[in-house]
Order: sequence, then structure tokens, then C-alpha cells
Amino acid sequence: MILLQELIHQTYFVLAGLIAVLLVTRLFRRKSRPGLAYDIVYAYAIIPFVLRALHIK
Amino acid sequence: MNDRALVGRRVGLLLASLALMVVGTKDIRALRAYRETVVVSEAFTRQAPLSTYFDGIRGTLMDVPVFVFDSGVPGGSVLILGGAHAYEPASPVMAYVVMENITVTQGKVFVIARANMSASTLGMLGNAYPPFFRVKTPWGEKTYRIGDRETNPLEQWPDPFTFVHYPSAQNLAYQDSRNLNRTFPGRPGGNLTERTSFAISELIRREQIDMTIDVHEASMGYPVVSTYVCHQRAEEMCMMAAMILSAEQFPMKTETSPKSLRGLTHREIGDFTESFAVLMETPEPFIDKFVGPMTEALMLTGKDEFMQTAADRGLLYAEYDMKTGATLDYRVGRHLGGAAEVIKQMGEFYPAKKVGVSWPTYAAVMEKGIGAFLHDPAKAAAARVFRH
Repeated sequence: MILLQELIHQTYFVLAGLIAVLLVTRLFRRKSRPGLAYDIVYAYAIIPFVLRALHIK
Repeated sequence: MNDRALVGRRVGLLLASLALMVVGTKDIRALRAYRETVVVSEAFTRQAPLSTYFDGIRGTLMDVPVFVFDSGVPGGSVLILGGAHAYEPASPVMAYVVMENITVTQGKVFVIARANMSASTLGMLGNAYPPFFRVKTPWGEKTYRIGDRETNPLEQWPDPFTFVHYPSAQNLAYQDSRNLNRTFPGRPGGNLTERTSFAISELIRREQIDMTIDVHEASMGYPVVSTYVCHQRAEEMCMMAAMILSAEQFPMKTETSPKSLRGLTHREIGDFTESFAVLMETPEPFIDKFVGPMTEALMLTGKDEFMQTAADRGLLYAEYDMKTGATLDYRVGRHLGGAAEVIKQMGEFYPAKKVGVSWPTYAAVMEKGIGAFLHDPAKAAAARVFRH
């Protein structure tokens, strides 16, 4: 049970890291919505996922 | 815009975001990394990690040190449990003042200053209060964390939709799965907070602790403020202690632990161990929902105009005057006096369980301030200094 809990808990960190990577990828490689506003949103939205993946917040 | 310029812009935005992240989380990282210092008194005997009593928390932030002050003279034993709710700082500070000044002439005293260490490493979401507060001492300032009520999600996540308390199966709020004072008596295969409760319960059982004193603070709009909440086996001791305190030192009420309110120390430790379970509450304006800015000054003084308005309208469960507020000295002093009196009563009711103990009194703390009872780690023997 503890092992399963730990697995689920760690999965959240891994998912956060994967989403951060996905957002970085989309920041640099996307064909639609190339405007500055979308660049800012992609760059800014990365922050909470990096914080979680790095065990900061 | 050509491709090179576009990539340059995006790299710049990414770096700016990361820089913003580093700057914006300065306090968050500092709070998580900071360690409090305590200089234990000469009565200190030994310390052991909480995982000594249950291995299921080893290597986690919840594996906190248990400090023991043993007189070597047969008598009773007491556990002082501080910091179950980290955002009630008079609780761990009371435990630190005890650890730094205690003398024990009979029996032994166990102290856990930060029962939920994880909760002390983050602030409460949306409350925008400072991460630290500072206590002035004759030799400088001592810094303490404020913290949150529940275990940090970095240690325990996700929350269930509803927390089902073990073993009663009572449904509690989802966030109570991370609330140390809703997860007792704990379970060895449960979540981290439940396992921590189980470790504390095991400590109480194995060390045959006669009395457990769980130290808290309450908002003034909460009926049990300035109160002992005691398991029914301890209610007579608490009533006597409350009467004596109210007559001689400060107003103190007493209440018997409701049997239908599950997961709290005053109910579960009383039911699942032989220990007399006592919980103490002091008035802490800082955690009331209707106060003004939640500043370090409010934490230290308890002076707030909105609290005064609530008092004027009869909405509080304790006396309040903005001129005096509810200072940290007052709140810690109350806990020191409250713990000493109920321990004394245990010795009166059960002479074989007597614990001969002394630490700064309520009157002494009110006169000199708690800073006068906190020692300079730079001038203490290294063996007596612990980072916590």
C-alpha cells in the first residue's frame, strides 16, 4: 500500500516534468498561433510545472 | 520576423520566465531549507528519531527527533507534542522554551517540537503571510518558521475526494488526510501523515507515556480557544488545573473530548493508548479569518482593529483588548503554565505518576519575554545545540 502511494505520488512529479517539457517543445515548435502573446503564455505556464518537478512548490 | 529572431525571442522569454521563477520562489525555497536552532538544557538525556518507534516514516521529513529529559528517579512520564499544526507557532516555541530551560527532578519528559515538520516548510495557500517570524533575545534575534496547517503536498499528494478516518471510517474533509490532528491513532499502511500519527502512538505505547499534551493555538472565533480539551480519563485533572489557572494566573476553560469527533489526539490517544490525552489551545488572532494584514507584527502582538470590532460585537469566545492584544509571550506563557499545572494535577491524582518538572512560569515570561529564555547557540556547548 505504501509502495503504491509512493508510486502515485512520484508519478505526479514525473507528469509535471513531462508537461514542462511539452510546453517548452510547444514554445519553440508550433505551427499555429505564432504571436508574441502566445509565446509569453507558453513561457509563463512552464513555471508551476518546473517548480513541482524540482520539488520546490 | 525571421526564424533566428523568433527563436531568440522565445529563448529570451523562457529565460525571463525561469528568472522570474527563481526570484519569485526565494522565500519558498528559504522556508523549506531553513532549520531552527535549539539549545537544550542540562537536563537533556538523549534524542532519537521518531522512526525508532515505527520504521515506516524513516527517511522522510516526518522522521523528527524526539528529545528526552530523564531525571533517573522513578515517576511518571509526559510527552509534549508541539507543532502538530505548524501555523500555530506558540506551540513549537513553547516546546523550544521547555527544551532550553527544563529541569526534571522526578520521572521523565519527552518533547517533539515539530510533530509535523513537513507542514512547517510551506505557507498557507492564499493567506499571504510571511514565512518567518523573529523573537528578540538579549543576544540577538532568533528566527522561526510559521508554516501551514497540513502536510506539504511535496511530501503527500494527491488528496482523496473524502478522507476516511481510520479506524472509525468517519468521513472527514479531503485536506484532513494531511492534517496530523485528524489522523490519529494512525495506521502503519496509511498515508505519510497517518504513518506519522501511528509512530507517535507507538512512542506513547512503548515508552508508557502517562500524559500526552498536544499544544495548539485557536482562532478567537472558535469555541475551544483558551481551553483544555481532555479525554474523559483526564477530565478531572483538567478541570482542577483550569480552576486553579483561572483563579491564580489566566482564564482557562476545560472541555471533554467529544466521542464522535474522530482523529484528534485528545480522542484517539486516550482511546488507543493508556496515556491521559490533553490538548491545549491559546488565542491566536493571526489565524482568524477576519483580521487585517497577516504580518509578522500581527503574529507577535496579536493586535488587530478588526478583531477588536468582533470583540465589541460579542463574536469572540475569549476576552480581547487591542491595547494588549494576544502577544506571543502571552500565548507561550499560557502554554507553559497550562502544561505545568496539568502535570502537577496528574501527580496529585496519581502519586505514582508524579513528574517533578519546572520551566519558565507564565508570570516570568510575561515579565521578561520569551527571548530571555532562549539561549545563544554560538555560546553553548556543541553537544547541546540541535538544528531542527
